[in-house]
Amino acid sequence: MEIPGILIYAMSMAIFMGIYAILALGLNIQWGFTGLFNAGIAGFFAVGAYTSALVTSALSANHLGGLDLPVPVGWAAAMLVAGLVAWPIGKICLRFRSDYLAIATIGVAEIIRLVIKSEGWLTGGARGVTKIPRPLASDNYALSELSYLALVVIVLFCIYLLVEKQLKAPWGRMMRGIRDNELAANAMGKNIERRRLEAFIFGAAIMGLGGAMLAHYYRSITPEAIDPMIATFLVWIMLILGGSGNNRGAILGVVVVWTIWSMSEFVTDQLPEEYAIKAKYMRVFIIGLMLQLVLRFRPEGILPEADQKSAQRRK
Amino acid sequence: MTLLELMNFYVIPGLVLGSIYAVGAVGITLVFGILRFAHLAHGDLATFGAFAALAVVTASGISPWAALPIAMALCALIAIGIDKVFYDYLTDRPKIITVMASLGIALMLRAVIQVIWGVDTETYSRGLVRPENYWGLRLRDREIFTMLAMFAIVGVLWVFLQKTKWGKAMRAMSDNPDLALLSGVDNRRTTMLTWAIVGALCAASGFFLGLNTELKALMGWTMLLPMFAAAILGGVGRVEGAVLGGLVVGVAEELSVLVLPSEYKAAMAFVILLLILLVRPTGLLKGKLL
Amino acid sequence: MKLTHLVVAASLFGSTALVANSAAADVKVGLLGGISGPIAAMAPPMIDAAKLAFAQVNEQGGVLGGQKIVTVVGDSACNPQNGVDAASKLVNVEQVTALVGPHCSGPVIAVANSVAAPAGVALITPSGTSPEITGLDDKGTVYRTVPSDDYQGRALARTLVAQGTKNVAVAYLNNDYGSGLAGAFKAEFETQGGKISGYAAHEEGKASYRTNLAELSRGGADTLVIFDYGDGSGLTILRQALENGFFTNFVGGDGMKSDAPIKELGAENLTTFVASSPMGEASSSLDSFNKAFTAAGGSADAIFVANSYDAAFVLALAIEKAGGDKAKVPAAISAVSDGKGEAVAAGEWKKAVELIKAGKEIDYKGAAGDLNFDANGDVPGAYGLFSIDGESFKLQTPMN
Repeated sequence: MEIPGILIYAMSMAIFMGIYAILALGLNIQWGFTGLFNAGIAGFFAVGAYTSALVTSALSANHLGGLDLPVPVGWAAAMLVAGLVAWPIGKICLRFRSDYLAIATIGVAEIIRLVIKSEGWLTGGARGVTKIPRPLASDNYALSELSYLALVVIVLFCIYLLVEKQLKAPWGRMMRGIRDNELAANAMGKNIERRRLEAFIFGAAIMGLGGAMLAHYYRSITPEAIDPMIATFLVWIMLILGGSGNNRGAILGVVVVWTIWSMSEFVTDQLPEEYAIKAKYMRVFIIGLMLQLVLRFRPEGILPEADQKSAQRRK
Repeated sequence: MTLLELMNFYVIPGLVLGSIYAVGAVGITLVFGILRFAHLAHGDLATFGAFAALAVVTASGISPWAALPIAMALCALIAIGIDKVFYDYLTDRPKIITVMASLGIALMLRAVIQVIWGVDTETYSRGLVRPENYWGLRLRDREIFTMLAMFAIVGVLWVFLQKTKWGKAMRAMSDNPDLALLSGVDNRRTTMLTWAIVGALCAASGFFLGLNTELKALMGWTMLLPMFAAAILGGVGRVEGAVLGGLVVGVAEELSVLVLPSEYKAAMAFVILLLILLVRPTGLLKGKLL
Repeated sequence: MKLTHLVVAASLFGSTALVANSAAADVKVGLLGGISGPIAAMAPPMIDAAKLAFAQVNEQGGVLGGQKIVTVVGDSACNPQNGVDAASKLVNVEQVTALVGPHCSGPVIAVANSVAAPAGVALITPSGTSPEITGLDDKGTVYRTVPSDDYQGRALARTLVAQGTKNVAVAYLNNDYGSGLAGAFKAEFETQGGKISGYAAHEEGKASYRTNLAELSRGGADTLVIFDYGDGSGLTILRQALENGFFTNFVGGDGMKSDAPIKELGAENLTTFVASSPMGEASSSLDSFNKAFTAAGGSADAIFVANSYDAAFVLALAIEKAGGDKAKVPAAISAVSDGKGEAVAAGEWKKAVELIKAGKEIDYKGAAGDLNFDANGDVPGAYGLFSIDGESFKLQTPMN
């Protein structure tokens, strides 16, 4: 049976969206529900991706690891290690507020990126880790895409349920309380620092899982994948556009932003042949302009946080 | 290694680099302090300024230094325009929205630069400039001028902020916009003025970077993170802090080669930042908590 | 799931129009390059060079008995995320017959693994130099016209030692290209009895490399080997090294054989600068490419342009040989340049078509080397050391 190419493209897009939706949910825990300005998503993404890569790939002389373990073990390890790395970072950085935290986390992510690029014995350096197994892969292109898509959707759904459950639980109410009025929460005897650290680690672990899933999809991870633009700022745009504080909004934001990002290429490809290269620069312009338009008409995000009162109180 | 070698090959390059960072960081810290958000389009606006100066140089053949004021004026206008069209209506929204808008602006500016000027690496003047020898110190004219111009620009800005009516209005708005409004400060016009100054500073930092190295379409974006580190390091909203932060980051990056493998040079700005923030959570000079 | 529905609907909407208006008789080829992103300055000439090859094919009668090759350009932005997305669009929506690119190694590996190999579509990269590309499990779909870093680094080391340069410092860009070349160079140079008195990586995009250079020069070498791009940080390093007199002789890899140093620093300042670059046995190929590319308004000294041209030309030959069958193109690529058969030089499309029609074996000898793909889709490559003569690079000595 011949599967139309457009469906395969749609599936590859959906896989990508699913993985970035996981990243956006992780960020939503940190920013949307706790108010932590983590601008170092790329760092936890990278730690997760490389951990799973090293745990599940075969032995290689170029990097550490090569344990050849099953993929689920790799994903669990990715979450665990990303959380573990987040712990000392959170311990140190969460005392900074707002923009100070943002620049501190950007800094940590840049340092992680440089370590990954430079310490070849650990991560393969600039060569990266290749030959990472992809679960459920088969010789049929469409079928492998479909099965990986199913896997991504299942994982995303589980993460979504997990996050929603946490947020509906007393823990989530307390987090929003701390975010909206730290003083009051403190007065009520809540251990704010500890709760914040929990949210930071929880979010980071989910980001690590997202990174691992991307690495297995590409069967490789190289330092180019953890550039701040594509691994940090893009996720931020998705969350803010979709509606921070709302998990469904976060997922929708990913769909909208990636659709703009990917499909803008079709629009600019309509330009005549001699502008083929300039068209790619115009595409970047269109992406920027579309962001402005969404922000202009839906400044609270496409799906704002349900509890409007608490959203408005935030500065 | 002699002291002169240390000065010539490590400290002076650090100071020149630091001066470039400083001019950029002052602009970032002004936006932080007065408008209260992280302006991610800063680097790309700087690139725009650098290329605008190049366009003037190639079109008229005048010295790059004469082109600088023109580029600064142009960037000031563009910054005001960007604010009017894109940032202004987001003023009352959470600041993170404006941060995202500025990221979009960064992409748009970069696209405009690439469409207009292409992507080739350019320079203001072809060829090499070997340094002069001043009692053992090896300096190039452009390096001396870069450092002097940085101090001149920042000095003028500082006097402006301290002594003039509009400067005081800007500082008042930085301290408390509501109170400033009540005391008769026109917030709208002060914001415009801030953008004019920030745009001009962007052009200057891009120009200095281009003058001391080459002009590339992504040069501003790659400088953005160290410039942010310098601004935060000095203390948010503090002009003299940004200068200090820029110089510290510049010298630290260059000196880091002595103790660290050179691939970690780019990490130095952040290592310093994290260390300082641990000791002084609001930066070297006490910045404000946003 | 709601999300998937939305995506499918959106993509159908976005792309049906495009598929409908493409003429049926044309052969579509995807040109995937790092047009936006860190190598933005290098990508456009590379794309232009590939287009030149297809233009020559179309002028000389086209493929498969008169069909035109139509190119569709995709932007990989030099990262795997955008690279795979762009490749997926080209392969699945545009239904291209094969891909030229991506340019950077990371996207090459990701695209090969998740698009090209599963879909069975041939991929030829003109500039992905990572050694990892050799061993990919790619079902024979992945080729490259640029030799793996290993060959060039070793050849350069042997040549320098043979010329009497025994003590050098090495500055390399901290990416797959720079570190791969530097590693191979260092190993061979030391085996040959040379001394590496400074060896340091650097990040791109910094404003000053003077301290790096000062550190490197402390080992006492007067020759600096630069593995970087001549229109990126390599230019900054070369400028600052020249201006401050840290070194007197400069040697670059093929990334430094760029027109940017000549244009920005001036040929008169670059008398002690040489760069290695791949070249073919049939130097007529390189000459005819240089002439054609210059006539088309390009700079033949731009980085990786000859490799891009070869990738496109060899692909056109393979399409002709495979009779336009997408699934047979990968195998046909190695068949048209395997060192056996009648030699075909750059631009000799008519001759090649006649040979293929007559059922004869052909062997494409490219502008940037004879190619001769091995079982991994790699090319061994021969190199020459180039110096600047007038306003362009001239061959100084062949290397082996």
